[in-house]
Amino acid sequence: MTLLVTAAAGSIGALARYLLSGTVQRRTGSQMPIGTAVVNLTGALALGLVVGATALPSVLTLAGVGFIGGFTTFSTWMVETMRLGFLPRPTLRSMLNLVVMPTLGVMLAGVGYYLTS
Amino acid sequence: MSDFVTQRRSFLAGPRFARWGGPSAVLGGGFLGLAARVIVVAVVPATPGDFPLATLIVNLSGSLLLGLYLARRERAVAARWSLQFWAIGALGSFTTFSTFSLEVFQLIDVGRAGIAAGYVVASTLGGLAAAVLGSRVGSIGR
Repeated sequence: MTLLVTAAAGSIGALARYLLSGTVQRRTGSQMPIGTAVVNLTGALALGLVVGATALPSVLTLAGVGFIGGFTTFSTWMVETMRLGFLPRPTLRSMLNLVVMPTLGVMLAGVGYYLTS
Repeated sequence: MSDFVTQRRSFLAGPRFARWGGPSAVLGGGFLGLAARVIVVAVVPATPGDFPLATLIVNLSGSLLLGLYLARRERAVAARWSLQFWAIGALGSFTTFSTFSLEVFQLIDVGRAGIAAGYVVASTLGGLAAAVLGSRVGSIGR
């Protein structure tokens, strides 16, 4: 039962990611994957906020694992980094995407956690 | 009867499917991907403050599968909804950036900076290597 409800929350998170990242990417018209960056970084902040705010397993599972888990994505980030040109020699863009994203993500998760804990 | 069949066909090819089909496919794929991740997390043993092995497993395998899927897709005629279901929905939800970020923060927060650094390197370089590997394997025979 928990599995089904969590997966349902995740599917709504995935839909929100699909709509938001697509809109952001179209609006900016950037060659960098800004859409994925926006959903991933806001999701990292949001997860920090939730985990700082509550220790209730049901909330953590539904909102943290489910919705925010479905909202953010690791695989798209990796494939986009690869497509920015990593082989045979890494391009500056791909290196930036690989390094800046986790740096900001960890910082935002920490900021969110300290804001609510 | 034949009207019904014709209508069904025109729905799949028509503008209404283009509008609702994509979001529906993302919903379905997202459900599947999240359920699969919950199962992996339940199966892989985890201790707080330890190396987050479960997340690393889903993120690396998801990156591998996405690289593989996208490379195979370039060679085949795939349905419109296939990309939204598998790549955006399922593999997008199966992998997670938010949990990865929070786990790194928590490891640093409890003073385990060494494990945190190892986890970041394993995830980023490993994830990239997995995506490249999947892409290469998927391109075999082109």
